[in-house]
Order: sequence, then C-alpha cells, then structure tokens
Amino acid sequence: MLNDLVTEKKHLFADGVNTELRAQTNLTRGVSIVNGNLTGNIRNENTGVSARVYANGVYGFSSTAEYSDEAVTAVLKAASENAAFMATHAGKNKGMLPSLSTGASLTAIDISDPEQRVYIEYAKALDAYIAEKYPTLLARVISVRADSMEKVIAVSNGFDSHSVMPRSYVYVVLTAATPDGRPVELYDVFGGYGTFDTLFQDPAACYARIDTLYERIMEKANGVYAEAGEKTVILGGILSGMLAHEAVGHTVEADLVLGGSVAAHALHRRVASDLVTMIDYAHTAFGEAVPLPIYADDEGTEATDAVLIENGILTGYMNSRASAEHFGMTPTGNARAYNFSDEPLIRMRNTAILPGTSKLEDMIASVEDGYYFCNTNNGQADTTGEFMFGVTGGYEIKNGKLGRPILDTTISGVAFEMLQTVDMVSDEIVWASSGMCGKKQPMPVGMGGPALRCKVTVGGK
Amino acid sequence: MEQLKKTAQTAIAALKANGADKAKCDVGYSITHEFNVDGGEFSLFRTLFDKHLVLTAIKDGKKGTVRQNRYDEATVASLAAACLDTAASSVSDPAWDIAPLTENHDFTFGVVNGDQERLFARCRELMDDVASRYPKILMEQMIVTHKEIGSVHANTNGVLQSEHCGYYSVELMFSAHEGEKSSSFFSSGFMTDHLDTPFIDCGSVAADLASVEKQIDTELLDGKFEGVLLLPPAATNAFLYYSLSNFVGDGALLQGTSPWKDQLGKVVADPAITLTVAPLDDRMVCGDRVTSDGLIAENYDILRDGVLNQFAISQYVANKTGLTMAPNGASTGNLILKAGERSLDEIIASIDRGILVGRFSGGNPSSNGDFSGVAKNSFLIENGKITKALSETMISGNLATMMQNLYAISRETVSDGNSVLPYTAFRGITVSGK
Repeated sequence: MLNDLVTEKKHLFADGVNTELRAQTNLTRGVSIVNGNLTGNIRNENTGVSARVYANGVYGFSSTAEYSDEAVTAVLKAASENAAFMATHAGKNKGMLPSLSTGASLTAIDISDPEQRVYIEYAKALDAYIAEKYPTLLARVISVRADSMEKVIAVSNGFDSHSVMPRSYVYVVLTAATPDGRPVELYDVFGGYGTFDTLFQDPAACYARIDTLYERIMEKANGVYAEAGEKTVILGGILSGMLAHEAVGHTVEADLVLGGSVAAHALHRRVASDLVTMIDYAHTAFGEAVPLPIYADDEGTEATDAVLIENGILTGYMNSRASAEHFGMTPTGNARAYNFSDEPLIRMRNTAILPGTSKLEDMIASVEDGYYFCNTNNGQADTTGEFMFGVTGGYEIKNGKLGRPILDTTISGVAFEMLQTVDMVSDEIVWASSGMCGKKQPMPVGMGGPALRCKVTVGGK
Repeated sequence: MEQLKKTAQTAIAALKANGADKAKCDVGYSITHEFNVDGGEFSLFRTLFDKHLVLTAIKDGKKGTVRQNRYDEATVASLAAACLDTAASSVSDPAWDIAPLTENHDFTFGVVNGDQERLFARCRELMDDVASRYPKILMEQMIVTHKEIGSVHANTNGVLQSEHCGYYSVELMFSAHEGEKSSSFFSSGFMTDHLDTPFIDCGSVAADLASVEKQIDTELLDGKFEGVLLLPPAATNAFLYYSLSNFVGDGALLQGTSPWKDQLGKVVADPAITLTVAPLDDRMVCGDRVTSDGLIAENYDILRDGVLNQFAISQYVANKTGLTMAPNGASTGNLILKAGERSLDEIIASIDRGILVGRFSGGNPSSNGDFSGVAKNSFLIENGKITKALSETMISGNLATMMQNLYAISRETVSDGNSVLPYTAFRGITVSGK
C-alpha cells in the first residue's frame, strides 16, 4: 500500500485557497491471445503525486512521476504558482469554495498482485477449450485485463481518504463466417470488482457462458439485417445501462451543462415517462454494494447518491465543488481523476435506471413487430442527447415471440424524447463495469438498467 | 539525452544479465504545460512532469513487457528482473524479434522550449476571435498544450536512437446556441511548432466554427435514399482510420478477417486514391523519427493509384503471416491522401443528391467493413446545393465498397500538423431519416 506522505504536508497549504494533494498508483496487468498467439503480455505501473489549488475562481495543478517528501513539496509549490498565474491572467474575483463536512474515509485494504503466469495460464486454458471444442470458428480472442487504482488524498477542507479499487475482467471474442464467407463477431465479458485471483480460480467456471456465446455467434452468422426505421423495441439491461450513462448521464454532468448540454434548459421538467427514475449511486444500491463503490471523491466530498431523474422529472446534476456552488446544489462526490497526473473531473460512478414491475417475457409478448436488442459494443451521445448505440446481438420479435437473430445494426434517438416512450420497465437490473468512460481522461464506471420497452430508430442496412 | 542513453544501456545490460536472448528498452520523459477553458471560461493551468521506462525481453522465444513511470537505478534493476519473469510465463513463438541495427541517429525537432506567456496570449486571442466572429458559439472545452518529449530506443542489436522534440497542440470542443436551441457538439484541433499564426487561422478551425453556427436549426430527413457521401478532411480521416484498421492493420491480418488479406499488389480502390504514411513530411509536426520497433521511420504508400502497395503491420505480424513488415510498423499516423483536381464547390455543384457529414457517430465497423451510424453535423445536398442541416439521420454502407466507389477528391486540403487531407466523396451510401 502507498505510504501517506501527503497528510503531513497540510501545514504547507496556503490560507484563503482550496488545496488538494493526491498520491496515486495505477496498476495494469494484461494478456491477449489471438488465434492461439500470445500477442500481449504486459505489466504496467504508474505512481506519482499531484496538487491542485483553487484561487480566485481558477485552478492551478501540477504533478510529478515521483513520490517522496521532496516531490510532494515541489508539486504543491508548482500548483500554487500555476494558480497564481491563472488568477492573474483569468481570475474571476471569487473566494474559496463553500465548506464541506470533514472527516476521513479510510477504505483501502492490501490487495494481491498475482504473478503474470496466473493471467496467462487462465487465458491459455480458455483459448485451448475454444480451439478444441469449436475448431470451425474464423477467429477467437481472449483478453485478460486487471487494473487497480489506489489513492491517498489530503484536502484543506473536506474528507481525507485512502482508497483502492481493483477490477478484473476476461473478454472472449468469437468470430464466425456467414454462409457467404463474411465475418461476424460477438463477445462476452466476465468479472468485476476484485483482484484476479479472487474472481478467477477455475477456467471451467467460464465454459458454460462460452458455450452459450458460441451458440449465439453461430445463430448470428445465419442472421438477417434489421429493418430500418422507427420501431418498438425491448432494450436489454446492458443497453439501458448504456443509455443511462451515455445518453442521459453525460448531459447532466454539470461541466457539460455549463458547456451547453440539453439539460441546461430541462431542470425540473419532464424528460421521461413516469416509469423512469435514474440515480448515480455512490457505493450502495438495493442493499448491496454497487459494481465500483466510491466513498469519498478526489476533492474531499463524501460520496452520496445523486438522484438525476425521479418519476420522469429531471431533478439534479452531478457536480464538482465548483459547479455545485455555481448551480446552488449540494455536491455528491463525483469529482474523480484517472491517473496521478490527471485533475479531478465530474464523472459518473454507478449510473442506473431503476427496475420496474414488468416481467421480461411479458414485455416481449407485448410487441407485435419489433426487436429485442441485448448486446452492444459501443455507445456515443451528443450534448443534445442524441445517441447512437452499436447493436451486436438481438432478435426479431414477431407477434409477441422471439424470431430470427439479427446481424450488427445501429440504433439511435434523442434521449429525452425516447425516454418519454418508455411504457414497460422490467423488474431486474443488469450491471456492467468492464468499460472505461472517455472524457479527457478514461475512468472506470459502473452502469446498470432493467429491460425497457420503448421506441428507437433502427439503422438497418 | 546522454543520461537517458546511459539508462537505456544499463537497462539492456540488466536484461541480458537476467538471461534475455534479445531485449529492447524505451526510456524517456515528458514535460507538459496545459491551459484549459471549460464552459467558455478559462479554468485551469497545469504542469506535468512524467517519465516512462518500457522493457521488453525475449528468452527462448517467449516475450514479456513491463512498464513503469520512473527510471532510477533501483527501478531499472528490479524492472529488468520482472521483465524476464513476465517473459518466462509466456508462450514460445519464433515470430517475436527486435529491430536490426541500421544506423543510429540523434533527432531533435519541433519546438522544444515552449513560450508560456505567448501561448496564453494566443489562447486569449482565440477566445476573443470566436466571441466576435462566431457569437453563437459556446466553447465547451479548449485544451491547449505545449509538450516536450525526450526518449531513447535501444536494443541488444546495438540500436541506440534518441528523439528530442516539442510541439503545441490545440483541441477544441464547441457547439452553437440560440435560446434553448443548440447544435450538436463538434471537435476541431491542430498541432503546430510555432506561435506565429492566430489559432483561428490554423487547421480547419474557422471553417468548423462557421459550419457549426449553421447547424442550430435542423430538419428531419423524410424517407431514405442512396446517394453521395461528402466528407470534410477530419471525417475523411475517421473513415480512413476505420478502413486501415479493418483491412491493413495488425489485428485484421493476424485474425485473417481482412477482406484485403490476399490482395497485395492488386487494385482494391479507385485509381485516384493514393494514401501515404508520411511522418517525415514537412507539414507534419513532430512525426515519429523512430518507430516503436526501433527502426528509422520512413514515408511510404499503403495505396498507390488504387493498388494495395503495403500492409501496415508490425514485425511480429509480418513474421506470423509471411508478409512484409511496414517501414513504420503498425503505425498509420500522419496520413496524406493525394489531392484531386476539382474544387470543393465544383464537387458539390455536381452532386444531385447526397449528404455532407461533419462527424460520424457510429460503432466500430464490422470486420467485413459494414458500417452504420448517425450523420452528425450534417447537411443535405440537393441538385448541386447544400440545402439544410439535418438531425436524426443515419448513414450506412461498406468501407471496402466505398473505396471502390469514389466520387471525387477535392483539390483543397487541410493540414492540421497530423495529416494532410482533402474533402472526399463516395457513391452508393444509404441515407435514412427517422
């Protein structure tokens, strides 16, 4: 674990400004096997310390790839000088940020760091299983990625903290050929919060899901193109989680609101049907830990849930301390940085649409002519709320029954319009946490949702 | 740089002492000064001091790579041992190799020492220019950076190359607003090695700002048609990136999914398409002088007059597939697409029905080249004229087919320090409304 060299430097914090000191280590372990070739085998460590100073409405920041008493003092000095430069050149005649409740959040624990052979042997076992059992596949890729982020933070006002967040995932990508020889892909991902050796002990535990993935890619190879146009669809939980994150979540990040997102004019207005409630959870939901729990953020704000949409009405934004002051809101702990050399940005944590009361089978049975979309590989959204998701797996629905599988397609819509078409919400939530959100910096995030019945535009061919 | 060279040589010696048959080392530092604007206001000034040490060892055909962001003596020793441990766990593969020694060089280029005060003044000037010339624009984010990089590449074949460079980069994200109405966001940017030109006159910044101001009032497209897709240089770059990744890159060749895998030396694109990887071109700012494999970088054609001239593959994939390694390995940065003879206005005037797409918002195309996605920042073209801005419009097609269905390439190009690209237009794209 990182030693705490930052708390003892609080006596160097200047009066009349807000100061943060953060020491951080990011570890990444990666293995990739492509068609039996071990193409990636890497271990990466990033350690350093940074300081950020808020003065006169602007920030100065500095970081260095060292972690020592001298390095801590040096970044504090450089950040102060940078803040002074900005205050002189672009100051806003503002005072300090409003005070926060103070305390300490010390949740870090020692975590294991398995040897590289542990990742390699696991990946090799999965690759061998697929190669032997399914030799007709066009291609197979096994990727293992384990990462962790440990932070020690001291702030001039708020919650000091020491935290660690380990994640471990195995990605399996299968490629099959269509009858006319064109390649089609489908992937599955296993894992979540925790170190690799605690989550992945026996490769055989993945075999059943690999078998299912194989069945689905062979179905898909004989699939049909979706028909273009506006359709009634069932979005599976992975897609509704993506919707919560990409199409709604980003538009209600307060820095993007200040940048002109559609949510700037939608606060306290109806943006979804009564059935839709959406929350960015800090650490606990439905009595259980969320995929990637956060207890205090990198500005020293104690993390609490941010209620964004309540029964269809937009009720709030996600904030940093500065944006919360601007909007007259209470910050809920959304300011996070990816690397020691990154400044905290407003980020989602575990963003979810809440489950409803319908059963998925009843929802499918209610659709006369539409689609059930259950896999995605990509999602993008605009600050206007217009979104696009790549759909890599799904089925036709004809007369209330699942029909032929579909080939890759794209769906799109405008979030605050599309959410008003939601008329059924399933009673089960599906969480995902294997991806990275991109917004100047990458960031691990959780997202979740139930199945939704709604109208979207299908790209077709 | 001499100290970095000594560190690299120490690391190579440590890797050999730990049992490596072949080894390479990439060691370096960067110093970054960065100004940020958020929500239309200056927000942050940051200075970053970073380091990297990347070691790769091959022993008995087994390869391992480790990376850390420090290179003190103790770290070099411990990381060299960890590198061999990582390699020992790997799978033996005779395709792994390191670059041969050709000739060692010390490269210094770009603007190594930035001018902080002058850089801030250019930032301020850009914000003032945008406010006065494009009053509907809200600068959601501006990131302006000067970065100095020093690095050394060494291996057990005697390679010892150094690069010392510096550049300015400007990244902008903005949208246009009128009351509660707004355009989609758009990104523009460029790299430069001097501060002599106002930022608004660099890259395609002014044209992009002007275009976005016309995108506040959009209309839905009624129905569906097959027509011409017109791409500005930045969007051309995005489609070229997708095409190169799916057809000539490491992953597509190693997996065998590239539709062009058996087409080397054959016509795969319209004869007007010549696509060059050109890190050494004068218009590129800090293009690589040394490849990630440790070779001296070169300019070369991937496509020449529509013929597939070279795959963009690394030494490893070349050895696995029996194909020839690209001069710059798997890197496809610093692209030049040969300009055409017609002006942009002439091209637009000749299009009966089509769509101008500033930004494509879609998932990664399928490995067979099929793509579909939202046509962001787009305009309808009818009877030779740009008629209206569009929203909720999708485009779909196939990348391989597109390369054969070239409609036109403009004679105007945009040079943004990273690439030199014209406007491009392609037939046979499906455009569908809501």
